[in-house]
Amino acid sequence: MAVQPEVKNKSLLNTALDLADDTFTRITAGISAGEFRRMLRGEAPGRPNPRLKPHSETFLLHIKPTYYHESVTRFTHTFRLGLLSTYLFIVETITGIYLMIWYAPTPERAYTDMIRLLSAVPFGQVMRDVHRLGAELMVAIVTLHMVRTYLTGSYKPPRQFTWFTGVVLLVLTLFLSFSGYLLPWDQLAFWAVTIGTSMAEAVPPKVVGETVNLLARGAPDIGANGLMRFYLLHVLFLPLILILFFFVHYYKVVHFGISLPANEEEVGQDTANKVPADRRVYFLPDVFIDEASFLVVFTGIMLLIVTFFFQAPLESIANPQSTPMHTVAPWYFYWLQGLLKIADKMIAGVILPGILLVLLMLIPYLDPNPSRRVRDRKVAIISGIVAGFVMIVWSWMGTPQYAVQGAPSVEVVQELMPEEGAGLVREIGYKHMHLGVYTTMTTEEMKKRLGDEGAQALLDKGVIPYEAVHAEDDEHFAEVMHEFELSVRKWEETAADFNKPYGIVTITQEQPSLKRIYWEIHWLSGEGKDEKFYRSFWLHEKSLYWEQYGRKDFSFVSPSGEGE
Amino acid sequence: MRKPWYHILYIRSPLAKIFLGVAGAMLAVVLTIFQFSIEEPRMKAQEDNWNGRSIEKGAELYYNNCANCHGADGKGLPNVAPALHSKYFFTQRIVDVGWAGSLYDFVELTIAGGRPSKVGTQWAQMMPTWSRHYGGPLRDDQVLHLTSFVINWEADALTQTAEEDPFQCFRNAPTKAREGDKSPDALGIKSCLADGTALMPGAPPPTPTPAVATGPRPPQQLFTAMGCAGCHQLAQAQSDDNIGQPGPHMGNLPETAGQRVPGEDATTYVYNSIVNPNAFVNAGYVGGIMPGNFKDQMSEEEINSLVAWLLDPNRPQ
Repeated sequence: MAVQPEVKNKSLLNTALDLADDTFTRITAGISAGEFRRMLRGEAPGRPNPRLKPHSETFLLHIKPTYYHESVTRFTHTFRLGLLSTYLFIVETITGIYLMIWYAPTPERAYTDMIRLLSAVPFGQVMRDVHRLGAELMVAIVTLHMVRTYLTGSYKPPRQFTWFTGVVLLVLTLFLSFSGYLLPWDQLAFWAVTIGTSMAEAVPPKVVGETVNLLARGAPDIGANGLMRFYLLHVLFLPLILILFFFVHYYKVVHFGISLPANEEEVGQDTANKVPADRRVYFLPDVFIDEASFLVVFTGIMLLIVTFFFQAPLESIANPQSTPMHTVAPWYFYWLQGLLKIADKMIAGVILPGILLVLLMLIPYLDPNPSRRVRDRKVAIISGIVAGFVMIVWSWMGTPQYAVQGAPSVEVVQELMPEEGAGLVREIGYKHMHLGVYTTMTTEEMKKRLGDEGAQALLDKGVIPYEAVHAEDDEHFAEVMHEFELSVRKWEETAADFNKPYGIVTITQEQPSLKRIYWEIHWLSGEGKDEKFYRSFWLHEKSLYWEQYGRKDFSFVSPSGEGE
Repeated sequence: MRKPWYHILYIRSPLAKIFLGVAGAMLAVVLTIFQFSIEEPRMKAQEDNWNGRSIEKGAELYYNNCANCHGADGKGLPNVAPALHSKYFFTQRIVDVGWAGSLYDFVELTIAGGRPSKVGTQWAQMMPTWSRHYGGPLRDDQVLHLTSFVINWEADALTQTAEEDPFQCFRNAPTKAREGDKSPDALGIKSCLADGTALMPGAPPPTPTPAVATGPRPPQQLFTAMGCAGCHQLAQAQSDDNIGQPGPHMGNLPETAGQRVPGEDATTYVYNSIVNPNAFVNAGYVGGIMPGNFKDQMSEEEINSLVAWLLDPNRPQ
């Protein structure tokens, strides 16, 4: 071996140091230890630049540019939104594979697998929450990425096709998110996807719409076939297409370079690839440090949100026979749901979104203005802002606040104890719902509404009037009664045939650890007829209900302690 | 160039970036350790949560489907359906029927498949099949919810004394072993005799008495003993606004009986309805619910007296 003569020439220590340096250089694909130290010290590279070696040596770095224009490395130019979208796709892939391990896409198993994931798989809930949050963030970030590109006019020549692939990626992201929505097989998933796919049915002509719907659902209604198809779309087909378009998109980005801030070049010019030597920022180490630290901080924040403020929802098992009240699409489809409320399914669900999508893709070809400067693009910027505003209004119309209303009595109960999801009563939980019969009327109001005898009859039955529920006894329960009273009164003011209403809630112990909560709403109809609505719910001591967004409840860590 | 307001987000110094990156990594590590440390109680809480939600759903199903016969409090109705909220049920029942599995399985199977037969027992109806697999209305998960709900009575049922225990013994499922540590007597649970009567702990088994020939039983007694009372309300009048379940109310039977089937007067109609209940089923009801073997359980004389009593507008109680 050649070691021995080397040791003779250079001494043992130097040989060992050289070996170590050699190993270091192999691991870093071309950066020696000395060069690494110079990087950390912030020294300029020598000539020829030894820091370019990893770009030619390694696969992952060879697709990154070796240097950037200083102006585009400023965080406030791109906000790293494209990088973030890519990163979220990777996060989704990793967490998605983790979730796939415990999941079988059949109606018999999907939902129980979710419950098992939450209650028997270590880190199962965290992985699911990250996956869900990542999906929603990805939609948001990809959209913001598009908004940024629009506002800086970066879609203009020569980047028209980059914009086009970007719009395709946005659509794919939306479809990916939406196809994953069905997989937990709960009521939320089932009905959101039923509404979503029913829009496909409205594609004209009829035979095409029905065929598309049939292909998506695998049957006239969503069932085992539909679940399998959505699963395959979600884990295989859409990700593969997305990866393809990602590389096309990214190739174009690198090929043309990131567009410079508009006022740094002449109108109609594109000098992104002509970077003067003194404006070059090399990927190693500057951009690398910037991107890596940004992603690490982002990951930390995402975990922070997941740990304390976000919990993926899981409602009751999908039931094709019962549509829960106020079924909503995921928030990024609120605008579509809003449109569907004001227009026909074919127009609002197919034609209008279709036109919007085509318009979006054609923006670079429709905009004749060669300038990317804000002051030259007043029309484009203002129409962009108007479009954003219209989206927000449509989205608001998609929420249950707009134009969807059950009977007032149903809405009152829905507000406090919804059919699905948490609501105030389930949030405060079993231990704060004290046995007894409570009414929203004070003793005075009872006498006015029911007469002295009627009021006395109720009081004799042990009904506790509104004024006897004190916040000092239990502020949580007092809040429930307060909201109950408020809600009844609010509906009295807004609904014409809901007069002189009052509510009674009866809480009884049905079984060990199981209380029954029986809601009664009495009112006079427009003709003065006595009307009554009642609804029973049961509440178990150990059941936890949560909202998707909001502070997490950690009371299970010390079961005896207070919940909040 | 004027800097935009969001310029503050632009960090130039690589050192500051490295510092933030390290802080972010530490945050991620701390959060992961925190997640790890609460993972055990979190999984337990989720397990309890889904069990709790299952019981809640089971309660709703029970009140919509089962409470009619098994009672809202689960204590059963005489001759209609046995008690479930019962110490005997939770401790002795599966021993007496010779079921080798768990009570949970027994309940689940009984809900899913019903009782195929009531031969030899006193119950007015068969337990219907509830699972979709056997023609019932419920999905598998709903059967499990119901089972969880029924089993949730256990803690309360076990506090019952033998006298409080509402269980009505099955006529053909007597308690086999009344000796030893594990016998119902030793545990303070009532036991059952072959004729369907209950025996309190410590009481001597009765000596069989020779059957005494008795005369025809009075209709009031028949109405209860045959289980009619379980399904038909005498105090309420059947009308479109008040449709009796499981069977029609009989408050206004004397007025309406003659109009139900063309060509049958009131007496014939009621007689046929008892002897051959499935020959004519009223609108809104399904056939096969009312037992068809009353002819074998009553003498001709008893049936006629029951018919006359039912059609008497001032039925003596």
